Amino acid sequence: MIRLSRTQAKIVERILATIPLALGVAVAAFIFMRAIPGDPVDIMMGEAAWTSEEEMAALRGEMGLDEPMHVQLWTYLKQVFKWDLGYSIVRSRPVADIIREALPATIELAVFAMLFALAVGIPIGVASALNPNSFMDRVGTCLSLVGVSLPAFWLGIVGILIFSMILGWLPTSGRIAYGAQPAHVTGLLVLDALITGNLPALGNALKHICLPMITLGLGVAAVVARVTRSSMLDVLSADYVQFARAKGVPERDVTCRHALRNAMIPTVTLVGLQFGSLLGGNMIVETIFGWPGLGRVVVDAIFARDYPVVQASVMVYALTFVLINLVADIIHTVLDPKISL
Amino acid sequence: MKSRTILTTLIIAMILAFGFLSTTTGQTRKQLSVVIDTDSTRADEAQAIAHNLRAIGVSADVRIWEWNALKERIQAGERQMYLTAWGSAYFDPFDIIVPKFYSGDRGNYSGYSNARFDAALDRALRAVDNDARREAYFDAQQILYDDAPAIFGYSLMEVEAARSDVLNWQPSMDSRVNLHDVGLARGDTIVVGLYADKILTLDPAAYRDRPTETVIRNMFDALVTRTWDGKVVPEIAEAWKAVSDTEYLFRIRRGIKFHNGDLLDADDVVFTFDRVLREGAMGGRTSPRKGLLGPVEKVEKVDQYTVRFVLSSPFPVLPQALVHFQIVPRKYVERVGDEAFARKPVGCGPFKYVEGQFDDKIVMERFDDYYGGSPSIPPVGPARVKRAIFRMMPDPTVRVAAVKTGEVHIIQSVPSHMAAALVRDKNIQVKSVEGTRVYMVEMNCRRPPFDDPRVRRAMNYAVDWDAILRTVYAGNATRLATAFLPSGFGFNQSIVPYKYDPARAKALLAEAGYSTK
Repeated sequence: MIRLSRTQAKIVERILATIPLALGVAVAAFIFMRAIPGDPVDIMMGEAAWTSEEEMAALRGEMGLDEPMHVQLWTYLKQVFKWDLGYSIVRSRPVADIIREALPATIELAVFAMLFALAVGIPIGVASALNPNSFMDRVGTCLSLVGVSLPAFWLGIVGILIFSMILGWLPTSGRIAYGAQPAHVTGLLVLDALITGNLPALGNALKHICLPMITLGLGVAAVVARVTRSSMLDVLSADYVQFARAKGVPERDVTCRHALRNAMIPTVTLVGLQFGSLLGGNMIVETIFGWPGLGRVVVDAIFARDYPVVQASVMVYALTFVLINLVADIIHTVLDPKISL
Repeated sequence: MKSRTILTTLIIAMILAFGFLSTTTGQTRKQLSVVIDTDSTRADEAQAIAHNLRAIGVSADVRIWEWNALKERIQAGERQMYLTAWGSAYFDPFDIIVPKFYSGDRGNYSGYSNARFDAALDRALRAVDNDARREAYFDAQQILYDDAPAIFGYSLMEVEAARSDVLNWQPSMDSRVNLHDVGLARGDTIVVGLYADKILTLDPAAYRDRPTETVIRNMFDALVTRTWDGKVVPEIAEAWKAVSDTEYLFRIRRGIKFHNGDLLDADDVVFTFDRVLREGAMGGRTSPRKGLLGPVEKVEKVDQYTVRFVLSSPFPVLPQALVHFQIVPRKYVERVGDEAFARKPVGCGPFKYVEGQFDDKIVMERFDDYYGGSPSIPPVGPARVKRAIFRMMPDPTVRVAAVKTGEVHIIQSVPSHMAAALVRDKNIQVKSVEGTRVYMVEMNCRRPPFDDPRVRRAMNYAVDWDAILRTVYAGNATRLATAFLPSGFGFNQSIVPYKYDPARAKALLAEAGYSTK
């Protein structure tokens, strides 16, 4: 019998708790999708003559769409328990294949956008907090206001105009050039290129991800900068920081070890929450940059009323969101042992 | 005292009388008010139409919808006036006019029904003789024009662009991107920016959308194909003839190889059509393309290089329809199964599949053993470029940027307002072809006020299409008199579109009992 520490037990409990949550989300997605008017078969058949009502009814029957709602729901739940995500109505292939293909691109873009946001947001936030109301602080505040306000569709297009068309530094869209792909390991191209030591592929993938990453990450960077600034200001005036200073700890250590570590707690929470929105909300960025991710798949499936694809994707989103927030909570306990799960 | 009472009574009586009079005029002259429904893509156009209607005294508002939600309300007969469009693939009016205006058909959102019109279409569909068909379509056009179940609109020019080093490039009216015929002045890989954000499959029997077909037609060939302007010419079939109104024989070219080396013969052709026609023939699933074959009942093998098409009723557009049915290799599909076939397709077209992701790009390589393609569309022989890549580029600005930087060689669907800037770029060639979609504003003919043809005609006179097409679509459009396309068979040029004539519109409205301004 494996003995778990209290924290480990909590983690297992949290993971188990995602199961009913995933089911709830699946049921909600199922019901909401069917509440939207529109018939997937009629949409799929497009515009053509000679499409009889019988032909469409037969297809509906084949896909089980003519059953009463509760029967459809029951069939769907049984499928989910068997790890079967169903078959796409429009794309005539298993939903699991579609998601397996699209998810790595979305995760890769979200991770890079988040790394960009942290790399830009935290230094600006800290610098602003160290010199409050200075010129630097004002510039930082101003920049983050601009960052939050710029919509992705505008930023993306302007980025392409400047960096692809005028300067010619970066490609307009896509994930990697043909012929440069690294061997498939995880599906995250940058990671795969690193694992296989394929430097040209790494360079190519980084070039491609640069603009989408900035477009998606800039807004988050701005929020991170603002949250970091205010929590850092709070912490810097706390007693233990004053004490450390009085004890003669060098200012750099005070900032990095004592203050920053504690100031990071709200930022980590924010990152956990923002990551979910990066995953789910990057459809616009994916469309602009022709990025083959899940966001585009889902929006497209919603318009086509491709129920199985929407249901499965919503479930995947929900689970990813919960797991990322669990990771954020674990990081909390590391940053501040007083906090427990 | 007495005179004051009389005066007051008189005033009250006058007020009442005026009130009564004004209500009676109100009863004879109703105010016409409409809500114009559209999806967001045509919002500007809808606003302009509303403006035109308000100018003649109609109270008009625009409501923007998600298209499929709107469609359901339209099909339920709950809406009044809606911007719709319908595309034709067969260069014959039947695949627009029948679904859109035949009584009770699938796309008949106006609820229009006229026995004389239906009879004219029936004649056009049954006749095999071209003169008789043309005459029937002429009759139908005139009836449709007079009944005006829609404010007839326009078709848009399809603008495409290519780098100037792409040789022998010509956009097609059926959205085909024919990469077999093009060459490159420099390099051997041609990249196409598709307007779609995905293709659905690589199985020629499992889709109904154009972008998927555009990609598939570079890997698979059909019995027949089309010139860029819509003429049917032989491809895999050497020749064909109609034995009777309901029976056709197709002779297949010998020596055609699939990408895996198998030779193509009648068995593959029969298998291809059986897979589409028979229920559950695709590994338990039914092809969504069955209806596109109309009354085709079965396809039989006559000998190793001849097949017979048997129809349940005459179908004069059969050759046009067969352009869209790409031949698949029987033995390969039977061996690997339908799902594996869609993942790793094998055809007999000019390019063979290498790799790809449906939301990202599809890569193909020249098939060196290609039989050469249609002798009627030179050059004949293997493709001129070594490799072809289709990239999904849903954003029009990005497509234009990508062709300007040279990242892609050919782009589809250039928005009108960006075309002018591309024309000025000397590294880019821009060409446009007549579109095959009819854009219109349908009216609900089942209910007042649009159950009255006078009101519907008034609406046609009230809209200033020339101004709308000039401002909203930069003039890249062709005004249509009805829903018949100039590129389709049996188009009657002598019917001219409704003129912009607000006075005539007001007169018609007044005649129908509505107030005007």
